[in-house]
Amino acid sequence: MAEQPAADDFSVLPITLPSLPSYPVQSTHFVYLRKNAKVVTKSDARSLFLVNVPADSTELHFRAVFASLVGAGRFEGITFDHNAKAPTTSHEPAYALRLAALGKRKRQDQEAQHKQDEEAAQLPKLWTRQTHRSGSTAVVLLADEKSVELVLKAVRKLSKTKKYPIWGDGVGDKAPPLGSQWLKAHNKLSYPGNDAMQDMVDAYFTVFNRKELEAAQLARAMQNEPDEDGFVTVTRGGRTAPARQEEAEEAKRKMLERQQKKKDETQNFYRWQLREKKKAEQVEFLKRFEDDKSKLKAMREKRRKIQPDS
Amino acid sequence: MEASTAKRRKLSHGGGGPAFLAGASSGSASSALIEATQELVNDVQVDYGQAFEGVDQTLRQFKETIEALEPHDPELITKITASFQKNEKITVPYPNPRPAKDSPYKLSFAKPSQVNVVGSYQLRTMVRSQPDMSVDMIVVMPASIFQDKDYRDGRYFLKRSYYCAYIAAGIRKSAPSFDIAFDHLEGNQLLPVAVVRPKGTKSDKKGYAIRIIPCAPDGLFPTAKLGLTSSNTKDSTKPTPFYNSTLRAESLFVPYLRLLNNAAKSCPAFREACMLGRIWLQQRGFGSSLSEGGFGHFEWAVLVALLLQGGGRKGEAVLSSALNSSQLFKATMQYLALTNLQKKPVVFGSQSAPDSLRQNGPVVWDAAREHNLFFKMTSWAVNFLQQQAKWSLAGLKSDSLDQFDSLFVVKVDQMLQTFDLVVKIRSTAQCDDSGGDTSRGVAWDFAERLHRVLKRALGDRAQLVHAVLPKHTAWSVTANPPGKKGGDILIGVVTDPSLVARKMDLGPSVEQKEEAAKYRDFWGEKAELRRFQDGSILESIEWNLDSERSIPEQIIRYAAKKHFTLQGDDLSFFGANSFSKVAHLSYSDAQYFSAARQGFESLEKEIREVEDLPLHVRQVAPVAPELRYASLHPPSPASRLPMDIALSFEASGKWTDNVAANQRLKMAFLLKLGASLGETNPEIKTHIGLEQVNHDSRNIAFLDVSYEDGFVYRIRLQSDVDEKILETQLRNKQLDRQALQDAAESLAICKRLYTNLPLHSQTLSTWCTRYPPLSDSIRMLKYWFSCHRLASHFNEELIELFALRAFITPSPWQVPTSAMTGFLRAIHLIARWDWIDEPLVIDHSESITAADRSAVSAQFHELRRQDPRMNRVVLFVATSHDTTGTAHTRNGPSRVVANQMTKLARSTCEAVKNKGVDLDPRSLFQSSLKHYDVVIRLNSKVLKAMMRDDGSKHSQFKNLDKLHGESGPLPLIELPAKTLAKQLNAIYSNAIVFFRGAGDDNIIAGLWNPEIGTRTRKVDMPCAYKPDGEGESLQVDREAILSEIARVGGDVIEKIEVKGTQ
Repeated sequence: MAEQPAADDFSVLPITLPSLPSYPVQSTHFVYLRKNAKVVTKSDARSLFLVNVPADSTELHFRAVFASLVGAGRFEGITFDHNAKAPTTSHEPAYALRLAALGKRKRQDQEAQHKQDEEAAQLPKLWTRQTHRSGSTAVVLLADEKSVELVLKAVRKLSKTKKYPIWGDGVGDKAPPLGSQWLKAHNKLSYPGNDAMQDMVDAYFTVFNRKELEAAQLARAMQNEPDEDGFVTVTRGGRTAPARQEEAEEAKRKMLERQQKKKDETQNFYRWQLREKKKAEQVEFLKRFEDDKSKLKAMREKRRKIQPDS
Repeated sequence: MEASTAKRRKLSHGGGGPAFLAGASSGSASSALIEATQELVNDVQVDYGQAFEGVDQTLRQFKETIEALEPHDPELITKITASFQKNEKITVPYPNPRPAKDSPYKLSFAKPSQVNVVGSYQLRTMVRSQPDMSVDMIVVMPASIFQDKDYRDGRYFLKRSYYCAYIAAGIRKSAPSFDIAFDHLEGNQLLPVAVVRPKGTKSDKKGYAIRIIPCAPDGLFPTAKLGLTSSNTKDSTKPTPFYNSTLRAESLFVPYLRLLNNAAKSCPAFREACMLGRIWLQQRGFGSSLSEGGFGHFEWAVLVALLLQGGGRKGEAVLSSALNSSQLFKATMQYLALTNLQKKPVVFGSQSAPDSLRQNGPVVWDAAREHNLFFKMTSWAVNFLQQQAKWSLAGLKSDSLDQFDSLFVVKVDQMLQTFDLVVKIRSTAQCDDSGGDTSRGVAWDFAERLHRVLKRALGDRAQLVHAVLPKHTAWSVTANPPGKKGGDILIGVVTDPSLVARKMDLGPSVEQKEEAAKYRDFWGEKAELRRFQDGSILESIEWNLDSERSIPEQIIRYAAKKHFTLQGDDLSFFGANSFSKVAHLSYSDAQYFSAARQGFESLEKEIREVEDLPLHVRQVAPVAPELRYASLHPPSPASRLPMDIALSFEASGKWTDNVAANQRLKMAFLLKLGASLGETNPEIKTHIGLEQVNHDSRNIAFLDVSYEDGFVYRIRLQSDVDEKILETQLRNKQLDRQALQDAAESLAICKRLYTNLPLHSQTLSTWCTRYPPLSDSIRMLKYWFSCHRLASHFNEELIELFALRAFITPSPWQVPTSAMTGFLRAIHLIARWDWIDEPLVIDHSESITAADRSAVSAQFHELRRQDPRMNRVVLFVATSHDTTGTAHTRNGPSRVVANQMTKLARSTCEAVKNKGVDLDPRSLFQSSLKHYDVVIRLNSKVLKAMMRDDGSKHSQFKNLDKLHGESGPLPLIELPAKTLAKQLNAIYSNAIVFFRGAGDDNIIAGLWNPEIGTRTRKVDMPCAYKPDGEGESLQVDREAILSEIARVGGDVIEKIEVKGTQ
């Protein structure tokens, strides 16, 4: 969305922040919103793009804000920016990954079962309530395209009425609390329990082993199966199984070591070797002297005069 | 290559085989040092024409005035003094004891036989930085006014004082544009001199002074009468060596002037060597005057001159006149460090040491001039001088240019940096007549006895006991010389860290009657007879370890009371103890550290004994600072805070080739380990914990192992293939930037956790055992970082390395011997470190070669070239284990914080230097909150409640808890305040720089990032912005951010204060 040049089509949605005992100042938070510019899917058309959402936002908070703007029932959901950007790491064996690009898709009916397994292998959450980086973005999904217009209109009207929605109004106890309870819960969530973790790990490796097996089968199958253009993919390894990458690297390392050892054994043997060594030392020595000299020069430049401290 | 010519110059001609040359010319790398010293000499050169404008003319004028003074015939002392003082309004500065009313001596004045300029002005060896520039003008009194027996009973000095006053009167009359005052020459109260200064130059420029020194003609008195064993007072037959040497020196001004001039003529580098010596001595607080040790520029110059002539074992020259100045300096340093100056006399110019030279103090006998060059030095001053020379030499050996600063630039003369304990003694009326040679002054005499007693009392607890006497000051010509009372005497003690806290002192056995009696005599009722387990019965003393006062303090107080009847108020103590108290360090902390360590060792044993692990354990390495004696707070079983351990297995094919899968595999291994540990030892409870779930390729899980009522340990597992896989990924050019960065970060974390930290831990615990004060020095330094709210930006390892460096390269001091000296030196190191242009290299296993060093420096310059604004890495600290230099500085501090660190360290150093012993240690650890934009105060009650309760729901009924299989309280993932600070930092790192101390600091301070200002674009905001008035521009929405912080912190935050509103 950054490629959209028009910055001025953002509407400003001010939200009143109630004062708190620890910070008794009533202030206003400004959320900037506009129609979602990049309409690709149907739901894009009925969504709003928000910038600068408060760090402690939850879906409940925004549901309340939008309810106060255009009444209940128009707000469907919100996706916070950082949820969308979670890094995706592959959990498949490395060579399975490489082969997957070449291989065929799996059968649909197995997929469902696998999906269930993979969900069981997910790591638990560590926080009861996720915070958002200050100034980050979100996308709000509304009931229909008409709601979008309604919201924008309501926001425009705010600048006249000055009746800003109040942050946290109507959320009450429904959102998980922050503060000490939040930190306490974090400590608790960080220790999910040994049994639960055992189950998770078991599920994970069921999936992992299956994938590994599939990959091995695939690799073997592809060893002598030409693709549609008639090419045969060359995979590593012999006839029985493809080689693993580390094995190849290990072999290379060993070879280098052997070479080095051979070289070491024939050092310091001939006179010319000693002579060359001496020469190299001298050069080294000269270099060091030059280094020191340049250091001194740097020192001189830095503090024009060398003076003892008083 | 001009510099190498100096190196190649033939060294051996002139003088028969100089003895110390080998050492002097050894370091080939020292050619840079030669250059640097040359540079220094050029820079400190005094522009005599400018600094002493018109002085030659003035001197000539004075000479004429003095020579034209009206002579008069001998008259009785009382009479002439009275009339002189009445006419001239000048008090004749007679030394003590002042002449009696019925004194039969007669005084006269006659034209001086010679008036001459001597000293460093004449020799042109002054340096810019010296505190006062003075020209010495000697006035040789004619032999005619003296009688043969005038060497006895201070008669000479009476006549000299009168002569001096007479000259002063004459000069005051003839030169009204000058101020005139009296001073004691080198603090020697027998020798008053007139000090003349041009009026009004005290404030503007530096100004100079002319010292007019009356002295005796050569050969005035027979030298036999002025030997070191002769007695020249009428009351006693005890030898008066100081009196004699002072008198002898009176007639040696001209001979020494000749000696120095000859040396300067024959050895071209002599002058420069003298200047180097002057700087070296000056930075160490040595000077010619009695209070400064009695070894100053003059003594240095004479020593070098003598060494150019002889001094070797067979009388051969120690120095060659062909040496350059830094070689002369080095060789002289070596001579000072290695010659035995304290036990037996050193003789120049004669083969045998005559018996007459034996005496208490140090003797360096110049046979040609029959004079003890060191007569002003005490035993402790010589000892201290030699120690300083040794420390400097130790530095000289190690490296070339890096030592230059510590030799000549650093101000070494700082009590608290040098000594572990300083005692200030009010020497009021402690001047009972002890007979013997009291001509040195009362304070001097008292200090000598005090030093002797304290040295004996402290015994092997002290490596060095030094005394500093009050400085002498000039006084007005109309006043009496400063009275009998001396000022305060300072005693500095360098302790032996391994013995200083010994509880029991053992004396001689009861059978050794004589020694036992002596022991009893010295210690009085404190000495007790005790029977020991081995059957021996010994005199012994037990000191109180739990007292407020440290044991050396108890000893000094007791001995001072016993032998000098000094009461509590007369002594004040400064140093290590008060610093430790301020930093809340206690000697009893050690037991907690060793308990934690023992706990770790038994855990390691238990881990190794687990049999059904799928892989073999290779190493169980401690990682937490608590396990290397280096944490600010000693580990405590009550805290539920785990201590980190890294566990690695033998290489195995069981690991997968996917980093993310390996993290889960680790989890499986940890679960297995936990189950097995719990089975073998029912006292062990294990909890698997997650440290993060967002990055699949970084470590996810750890296992917390808690002993019942004991410590908690946190085990992280290494999978040995991860590093290799990540390295391969980094080489993969096809990956996108994001993935590469992620892999690099993961690799760095991996390396740090499983390679750097275990090695660092091992190194540190080794050094902590080798140097007992290191542990407390580190903790004090951490306390300093914490007090100044820098701790949250620094890896603890980095702070530890700073302290370690102070121990490894201690020059110009010796290895720190207490927490305080270690701490202050580390601060000194930080203050002097110019991290913009220099890498810090810490060679703790002495494995860094010169080639490595230049590689490190090349790497450093490359880093700076790539990132000149220092956005990524600011501090570069290479160690023997990590030559990349960034292992501990990758994630902080930023440039702003590093600047802050240097600034604070500098002001701490300044305070230590300027305040001296009067420094209140608390002031070094106080930090104001005023300069922060935001101060977030945390609610300590809520935090404490959180530490007690871990959030796991306990049922009201105890038995239900058990049913649930709940295995005791959960450990803390980390301190809640720290978690909160981390969260805040993650949310607002673009907007605010947060400052926080160590774990238990209940304040988070913040500064708004000055680099983000207004903007117009609404996308990609670095933090919350609000519309700025009518226009399009936006500005940082500070109020909304603070309100957000208050909401996120909830009840944990008690108050948010904003600068300017309170």
